[in-house]
Amino acid sequence: MSDTEAHLKKFEKELAAGTVSLVLLAVLAAAREPLYGYQIAKRLERDAGGVLVGKQSALYPVLRNLSAAELLDTFVEPSEAGPPRRYYRITPLGRKVLREWTGAWNSTRRFVDSILKE
Amino acid sequence: MTTPQTIEQYLAQLRTALAGADRAMIQDALYDAEEHLRSELAENPGMSEAELLAKIATSYGAPEEVAEIYRTTEKTVARALRTPPPRPRRSGFGRFFGVIADPHTYGAMFYMLLALATGIFYFTWAVTGLSMSAGFALLIFGAPFFLLFMASVRGLSLIESRMVESMLGVRMPRRPPYTGRERPWLQRIAAMLTDARTWATLLYMLLMLPLGIFYFTLVVALMSISLALIATPLLKAVYSSYVDSSTCVGAPPWVCDFAAWSISWFGVAIWCLLGILLMLVTLHLVRGIGRLHGALAKHLLVKSARV
Repeated sequence: MSDTEAHLKKFEKELAAGTVSLVLLAVLAAAREPLYGYQIAKRLERDAGGVLVGKQSALYPVLRNLSAAELLDTFVEPSEAGPPRRYYRITPLGRKVLREWTGAWNSTRRFVDSILKE
Repeated sequence: MTTPQTIEQYLAQLRTALAGADRAMIQDALYDAEEHLRSELAENPGMSEAELLAKIATSYGAPEEVAEIYRTTEKTVARALRTPPPRPRRSGFGRFFGVIADPHTYGAMFYMLLALATGIFYFTWAVTGLSMSAGFALLIFGAPFFLLFMASVRGLSLIESRMVESMLGVRMPRRPPYTGRERPWLQRIAAMLTDARTWATLLYMLLMLPLGIFYFTLVVALMSISLALIATPLLKAVYSSYVDSSTCVGAPPWVCDFAAWSISWFGVAIWCLLGILLMLVTLHLVRGIGRLHGALAKHLLVKSARV
């Protein structure tokens, strides 16, 4: 049993590596206001139950790289109760990229589905 | 490893688990973790830190897991986002000429030219801030002025880090060291003043004036000499009617011979080749200085993992 589990873990990890950027962009595109890292993590935890992203610490490096690639905007704001928070917001370039990525995702999914059905 | 009981312990364990990794990456990882943990703490006011950290191990990850994630992500991301480094050339010939195609060469050259301006600015800022702080020390606003100045030094350090990373290609932190908002402000000031990095940054800012002058002069001088030598055939083609060694009068014959050889087509071709050679040597020198300066900046601006 533990044999297949290791394979499943590895497969999930590889799937997540490719899709987590897409998921983060989509979450930020759907949000009406800028979100901070913890909020994004909680949102994914609620919706996906940790299926896709694995450990939440993996989100932060990806967020940082997306903003380095100028797909996201970022700024720090102090909060009343908690620590200062780094907020992220999608840029127009990010929206354009998201549209293209969504297209690529849809065609990949259709292809994989058709193969699995055979 | 025992389960951490406080956020400080968690961060200490994360730092231990990341030991040996890139210092800049460690600073980023610690910043992310601290932000996440403190947000979690702020969201669950009733929960004790120990309970919270037990929960964190399954959601955010235990320190060792987080360290592993950062190590692997850094590798894949570096591969995906950076321009791939040029293939290492095996032949000495290829290595010598490869410098032309290396983007770091031109980044370093631009940085060295810019260093004159940034060096003057950093030096002036540091000296003005320090001397005004000394002068104001007797007055009521002396202390706040000094603290404001030190805070500005830390801000400038982050800006300089970004420039060093983009132009010299040395990995530098993208996040400042975390300063806890909920700690009393006296403690935060004490932390800033006892942080060796703050003082190292000040030293770096003072050093940048002489370094900037040196870098700028070196690039301008060597590049002008090489370009002038490379341009000699063009000069001969355009101005050949004005160039005449028959006016060489009263000098020892070997001087006149050398002048005549210099302006012959053969001599001009040799000068041009020498110019190209000097330019290549300059590019190597520039790239080397860029690497050295990157190491210096990393040493003085980034907190070492041991602290």
